[in-house]
Amino acid sequence: MSGPSAGPRVRLRDVAKRFGDVSALEDVTLDIDDGEFVTLLGPSGCGKTTLLRIVAGFERPSAGQVLLGGHDVTKVPPHRRPVNMVFQRPTLFPHLDVAANVAFGPRIDGLSKTEIGQRVDEALALVRLDGFQPRRSHELSGGQMQRVALARAIVNRPQVLLLDEPLSALDLKIRLEMEVELRRLHREIGGTFIYVTHDQREALALSDRVVVFNEGRIEQIGTPNEVYRRPASPFVARFVGDANVIPVDVEPADDGAAEVTVGGHRFRTPASDVSGPAWLVLRPEVVGVSAPSDDRALRGVVRDLSFRGTGHSYRVAVEGLGDPVKAEVSGGSVIDLGFTVDLTWDPGACRVLPRDPGED
Amino acid sequence: MQGRRAPVPTAITIAALLFLFVPLAIVVLFSFNSTGSLTFPFAGFSTRWYHQIIESVAFRDAVVNSAFVGAVVALSTLVLGTLAAYGLTRASTRLRTPIAVLLFLPLTLPGLFLGLSLLVLFSRVEVNLSLGTVMIAHMVYVLPYYLLIAVAALQRLDPALEEAGADLGANAWLVFRRVTLPQVWPVLLAAALLAFALSFDEFIITFFVIGPDSTLPLFIFSTLRRTVDPSVNAISSLLLVITLALFAIAFVLTLRGSRTSGLSIETEPIGSAAR
Amino acid sequence: MASLAEATTRTEAAERRRVRPLIATLPAVAWLLAFFATPLVIFAVYSLLTNELYAVGTPFTLDAYRDALTSTLNRTLARNSLEVGLSTAAVTVMAGLPIAYWLRFVARRSRIAVLFLIAASMFASYLVRIYAWRTVLGSRGLINSALDRAGLIDQPLGFLLYSRFAVIVALVHIFLPYVVLVLYAGMGPLGEGLLEAAQDLGAKSSLLWRRVIIPIMAAPAFSAFVFVFILAAADYVTPQFLGGKDGVTLGVQIQQNFIGVGNWPLAAATSFLMLLAFVAVFAVGSFILRRLKLNDIRLSS
Repeated sequence: MSGPSAGPRVRLRDVAKRFGDVSALEDVTLDIDDGEFVTLLGPSGCGKTTLLRIVAGFERPSAGQVLLGGHDVTKVPPHRRPVNMVFQRPTLFPHLDVAANVAFGPRIDGLSKTEIGQRVDEALALVRLDGFQPRRSHELSGGQMQRVALARAIVNRPQVLLLDEPLSALDLKIRLEMEVELRRLHREIGGTFIYVTHDQREALALSDRVVVFNEGRIEQIGTPNEVYRRPASPFVARFVGDANVIPVDVEPADDGAAEVTVGGHRFRTPASDVSGPAWLVLRPEVVGVSAPSDDRALRGVVRDLSFRGTGHSYRVAVEGLGDPVKAEVSGGSVIDLGFTVDLTWDPGACRVLPRDPGED
Repeated sequence: MQGRRAPVPTAITIAALLFLFVPLAIVVLFSFNSTGSLTFPFAGFSTRWYHQIIESVAFRDAVVNSAFVGAVVALSTLVLGTLAAYGLTRASTRLRTPIAVLLFLPLTLPGLFLGLSLLVLFSRVEVNLSLGTVMIAHMVYVLPYYLLIAVAALQRLDPALEEAGADLGANAWLVFRRVTLPQVWPVLLAAALLAFALSFDEFIITFFVIGPDSTLPLFIFSTLRRTVDPSVNAISSLLLVITLALFAIAFVLTLRGSRTSGLSIETEPIGSAAR
Repeated sequence: MASLAEATTRTEAAERRRVRPLIATLPAVAWLLAFFATPLVIFAVYSLLTNELYAVGTPFTLDAYRDALTSTLNRTLARNSLEVGLSTAAVTVMAGLPIAYWLRFVARRSRIAVLFLIAASMFASYLVRIYAWRTVLGSRGLINSALDRAGLIDQPLGFLLYSRFAVIVALVHIFLPYVVLVLYAGMGPLGEGLLEAAQDLGAKSSLLWRRVIIPIMAAPAFSAFVFVFILAAADYVTPQFLGGKDGVTLGVQIQQNFIGVGNWPLAAATSFLMLLAFVAVFAVGSFILRRLKLNDIRLSS
């Protein structure tokens, strides 16, 4: 699409968006490189869609700058920005057929009829919808409509493609297919994609980097692996991996590692420079569930159990802990509701994060 | 589709339809009466009254005047009204409220007021009454009706479509021309036809501000006072046919409008399973 | 602080203060200011000036209002107008409700056809309707002829024409289609499933009406009622053709004062007094509705 440029394709500098005294976004500083697939991830209302709309030009930031390809576009209206957006619901123009929809942007640019025709065919071929030119939107399925919306956006060869939860209105099966399509599209076009979603699984599957948002602020930026295995905050740990986040106190042990007390028992953790009040982060899939045997293990009672296809999902109530401990166990035998169990994990598989004494 | 059984509302509905249409049917019926009588029994079929009025120059002039006034009013209302509807639906500021109040206020006042006050204005600025003053009055009268329809139509559109248009490079004018208008034009045209019909049939206000030239309703009015023969029926029937034809066209346009924009004006049939 | 999501949606609309589109309303606004607001103001001023026979002059005086209020003729006419207006409004709304109900809940395939017919009848010319009723109600019109043929009467019924009854019948004919459509539209919230849900929760027919249907219909019915009342009470054409001696209304008087007699201040004063009465009726009705908490029931979509 666009050639390599000197600096990052998209720069956001101290972007903030406030509505009255409510802050939707604060201190957003982010660089996105050419050709990257970046996902803005977070719960509803965290500001991620607002940020996307700021990049698109539908919202003006209350503070900060937006730079595209090195140019400051903060005050530029949406129709003059070299970006294109795919919306959450397929917003195809109902009075135009597929070809005319896709041709909308090029027509405004004043390209010749032949060139428009070529580009439209190209774009539709890229989304694997050749031959759909004469169809109208009411003849298309949800997935097909979103693909047309994609074609309509990429036909303009934008510097950045913005996608606002484009798959959330689709059925699960179609969604999974579309994810594959999106990855393929990104590889073939090689463009810069900014994707917004609240679905962490989707974010991890699609992105080169993930930006996790919480209440208008960036909590962490990193590759999917980093964000998943090395969450920077309890919020990220809970949101991305659905991890157990347990308040503990870290005490240094003799051999340089550390120990924490959970539910009355001591456990080892990897060495880190965290001491004192901390969060113990345990991803559910590292927690093992077994019949009671070792008195020094964390013991609890199975309060909830659900079948997952590949295994089981447990929620175990442990005395002294506010929330039940989540465990994902693959295969193996099932331990039923109400039974007492031992929870174990590899000390190397847990993480420790600093905690403010007030937090709990 | 299930319907409830309710004898009383059904009876009232049928009675209402008869009430509404039988008197009109009688007018049309007697326009073909071969004698000059307006009372039963019906003598015989004849079209002489139609011949009579079509040959009347005064009648033809009145029709032409009404059509001319109606066309001018419809076109001006189309322009002024569409602009105003656009402004009302696309702006979001508190200033909108007083403007909307002003634009819809004529709906609440009886024609008597509009007619008298305009007559007063024209006499004050010493403007002669004419078809021009009639057009001015009609535009005031018709605008709120047009606005009701146009505002509703513009509000029903999905704002995301206009954002998509802007995202793809269209400025405000192009968005309106390429995205908004293509979806909404049948309804606007229907509203313009309604404006024409309202103007064509208007009497109450016109009575006060008309000059030497007559419009069709004024012509009917003076004929009603003078003659007592079926020529009035013939004129009335013609007027009925014209306005009903306009309505039918507007109705079809509205249906078509809802289809192109993918919106539905039909409400779901309400029914209940067996109680 | 409210949840961020709520606050964002709520203030987002207010925040995006777009004033520029309002410029598009300027032509229409200018037109109405010039040819609606200004004339009304001048008309109001006239009501405070002295009568100079088809003209007005200083000094400013309240004579016109005094004359309008003290005239016994006016009192009779005002009573006539009130009666005509209220009767027309009452009949149209009371007939309109069952018809709207039929359209919404009983009609099946005939709904579109009936809606079309009712909407079409709105377009029948105003004067034609008056003329039609003059024919139907006349001493040898449809009703009297039919009754005579059936042997039910010896002499034509006199009260049918040239009476307040005739005026009301014609006005009902004029306003009924509009009222039906407004009430039908007002039944929107009584959508799919709402009544079924209420019935499922045990509501009997009468309870359904009292607790669900009437509260939702109160506001649209009221606005239809007021609209018809105002237009019917102020009508000056129908009474001229169908009213006879007893059916003269204030509107006719105002028109005659202006055109016939030439007493412009009096016509103006009477008009504004009539307007005041309309506003009063509307205010009283709104107040009652608000007291009964029926004024603005909107169901979330």
